[in-house]
Amino acid sequence: MPNYTNDTKAVPSKRSLIIALVFLIFSILILNLPTGIQQQIGVIIRGSVLRPFVITQESIVRRRIHIKSTEDLQKQLDSISSVLSSQNNLAEENDRLRKILNLSEKFLPTYVAASVVRPGIQGSEGMFLLDVGRDQGVVYNSPVIMGQGLVGVVKESRNNNSLGMDWTHPEFRVSAMTLDGTVYGIVQASQEVFKESYRLLIDGIPFYQELGPGTILVTSSLGGVYPRGIPIGTVIEQAESRAGWRRSYWLRPFVSPGEAMHVLVLASREKFEYINDIWFQENLITSENDSVKGSQIQNPKSKQAGDQGS
Amino acid sequence: MKNNHKFWIVVGILAFFHFGLHLGLGLGSNAPDLLAVALLISIRELDIGAGSCLGFLFGIMEDAFSVLAFGANAFAFTVIGIIGSKTRNLFVGDSLGFMAVYLFLGKWCKDFLHWIVAGESLRGSFIDVMLVGSSLAAVYAASVGLIVIVVSGIGWDTVR
Repeated sequence: MPNYTNDTKAVPSKRSLIIALVFLIFSILILNLPTGIQQQIGVIIRGSVLRPFVITQESIVRRRIHIKSTEDLQKQLDSISSVLSSQNNLAEENDRLRKILNLSEKFLPTYVAASVVRPGIQGSEGMFLLDVGRDQGVVYNSPVIMGQGLVGVVKESRNNNSLGMDWTHPEFRVSAMTLDGTVYGIVQASQEVFKESYRLLIDGIPFYQELGPGTILVTSSLGGVYPRGIPIGTVIEQAESRAGWRRSYWLRPFVSPGEAMHVLVLASREKFEYINDIWFQENLITSENDSVKGSQIQNPKSKQAGDQGS
Repeated sequence: MKNNHKFWIVVGILAFFHFGLHLGLGLGSNAPDLLAVALLISIRELDIGAGSCLGFLFGIMEDAFSVLAFGANAFAFTVIGIIGSKTRNLFVGDSLGFMAVYLFLGKWCKDFLHWIVAGESLRGSFIDVMLVGSSLAAVYAASVGLIVIVVSGIGWDTVR
């Protein structure tokens, strides 16, 4: 019979217990840190230890995009060309009318192309990485779209990459409207019976307004995050109605985020900082035309310059 | 710990494959949670301090892509690292059956802790996420973990 011996492993040393306690406190602290610091830690880890894995998936995604059938791309190019050629006259007509009315050139947003990388690890459901960032004009809350419609929105932007949230994320919300702009509501994701299956729900529709199956919903631009007119989805059926109060409807989304490999990101948001200039210029033109010179609204910058000059 | 180099190589390979499959190849939930497997196997050999440290490091790496529940994985992995290292003292079982149950419960408890601290707005229903999703993921992880244990002999005294 072997002699009884004390198992030194059985009783943890005081030092080990203190270390364990310290790491437990660290983990609780990290959970409760301000979002900005949490993001900084995340960026450091993504840009160092996990960077090789991100690069691997980026290169795989790029290859997948390149492999995509030439025939499909040709079809898409043909359809885009036909749409553009039919709109040439409209653009010219629009320009002419703007000149007649003394309106400045329309301020169109610009988009940058990006590849989507899915982290695929626990806690990152509904999030994706983009290979474009601040250097390309992508900022916080830049909308992300595909050819068919809205994919999501950028939540973090770094120099050459950014982190986005697609519409399946529980925190995703977008203000939507019908094509004619008569019915407005808030769209959010809703899980179906199975965890992996998602559909959209539009809520907050006034009770007296009904939407038929197949009605197309687009972004309304209320809230200032998404430009007006990006397709979101079509109405499937009514989800709920509270008598005399409001209705909600299930939507079939135009875009499945899982299929998104190559997307477009609205990148001209910074240019909107100068929107006040455009606003004031147009007002000046209108005021000149109306000959109301005494009550002109002046651009604060030009006014300041004028004051300095005098 | 009898074979220090072999132990850390196996843990490193599991962590590498975890991020390689989930992040590099983008397989998501189609790949097993090898990080949980690596932690659960390694804490059978480590003391409570090293177990919590390894759990914390694994968790914070997993949290790197989580914007709204940052730290949830770090907390879950650290707690599992602490509790798991105590199981060696509480349970002397060393059979494959015991290890299968240990891996299953370890992975399930880790997911449960994450589910609790992730916040109400982010977590799904308990039945969908925990009873169905996490149970299946735990079976998957336990199966892979058993293969790793049998092949490497790490975390299982009988085969060495």
